[in-house]
Amino acid sequence: MEPLKLIVTGPVGAGKSTLIRTLSETEVVDTDALASEAIGKATTTVALDHGTLRLDGHLLHIFGTPGQDRFDFMWEILAEGALGVLLLVRADRPETLPAARNILDFVVSRTQVPHVVGVTHLDRPQVWRPEEVALFLGTPPERAVGFDPRDREEAVKPLVRLLELMGA
Amino acid sequence: MSKQEQLEAILSELKGALPELKEIIVASPDGLPVVQLGEGGIAARLAAMAATAHGLGKRIATTTHLGDLVEIVIRGNQAYFIAYAIGEKGILGLTTPAGSNLGLVRLEAQEYARKLAETL
Ligand SMILES: Nc1nc2c(ncn2[C@@H]2O[C@H](COP(=O)(O)OP(=O)(O)O)[C@@H](O)[C@H]2O)c(=O)[nH]1
Ligand SMILES: [Mg+2]
Repeated sequence: MEPLKLIVTGPVGAGKSTLIRTLSETEVVDTDALASEAIGKATTTVALDHGTLRLDGHLLHIFGTPGQDRFDFMWEILAEGALGVLLLVRADRPETLPAARNILDFVVSRTQVPHVVGVTHLDRPQVWRPEEVALFLGTPPERAVGFDPRDREEAVKPLVRLLELMGA
Repeated sequence: MSKQEQLEAILSELKGALPELKEIIVASPDGLPVVQLGEGGIAARLAAMAATAHGLGKRIATTTHLGDLVEIVIRGNQAYFIAYAIGEKGILGLTTPAGSNLGLVRLEAQEYARKLAETL
């Protein structure tokens, strides 16, 4: 089975590392280090996350990126050869949307491959709907998928949509 | 002396011991520059990359059963980039030309990483 390389990107705290931990069927490589900034959690990804998953007859190799733009060299490295991009955004943190748009522009302009916007934290108060997030990002609304990366059944949803868009 | 000044003094001392060093940076574990000494204007970038290299190095060491990570060495044909953990508190990264006495650079850098751990 030819592996398909996908990347999961988006601002800090969106749930990229969580998604990969939830879904991976092989031991996850994560590179979280202690956070020195107030980012609402103790650790942050400094290099990559990596996990694998079989889905709809495909073997997916999922690479997660760091979120902060000081690590944009990792976005570039990890985007190399990716066939699809999943951008995660927190529904309850609209102030991170400009950073999300920056990452999307950076990655999509380099890869020219389909992308899906995964909207997380929808269970929190005062959230933006996935369609509103899509509108802000200039992405067609049908590419925005609301889901909870902590739950396995939920977590495959944006990947299933991405595979559809990739024609895989 | 403020903490920042103390850290700067330690880096100056290291530069005094090894004048051939080009860039010296202390990065937080998550890749922010804490103090730097160098001319390249690349400190912020190098701090992020030092954290990436160190984070990945730790994982490579675990996956391939190398034991605990001791150092990161990137060797170019003109210079080396070397990095050491400063305890759990940060990373010391430096560049030194290809002709340097690498044994000495390693010893000094590890010694200074220990000094920095006391101050950071
Ligand atoms: N309430 C809630 N928490 C979430 C959701 N998705 C992720 N989280 C939590 O948010 C944090 C996200 O951290 P992490 O996965 O490290 O984010 P990363 O920076 O994108 O890798 C974790 O503590 C998750 O448990 C969600 O949909 N709802
Ligand atoms: Mg992460």
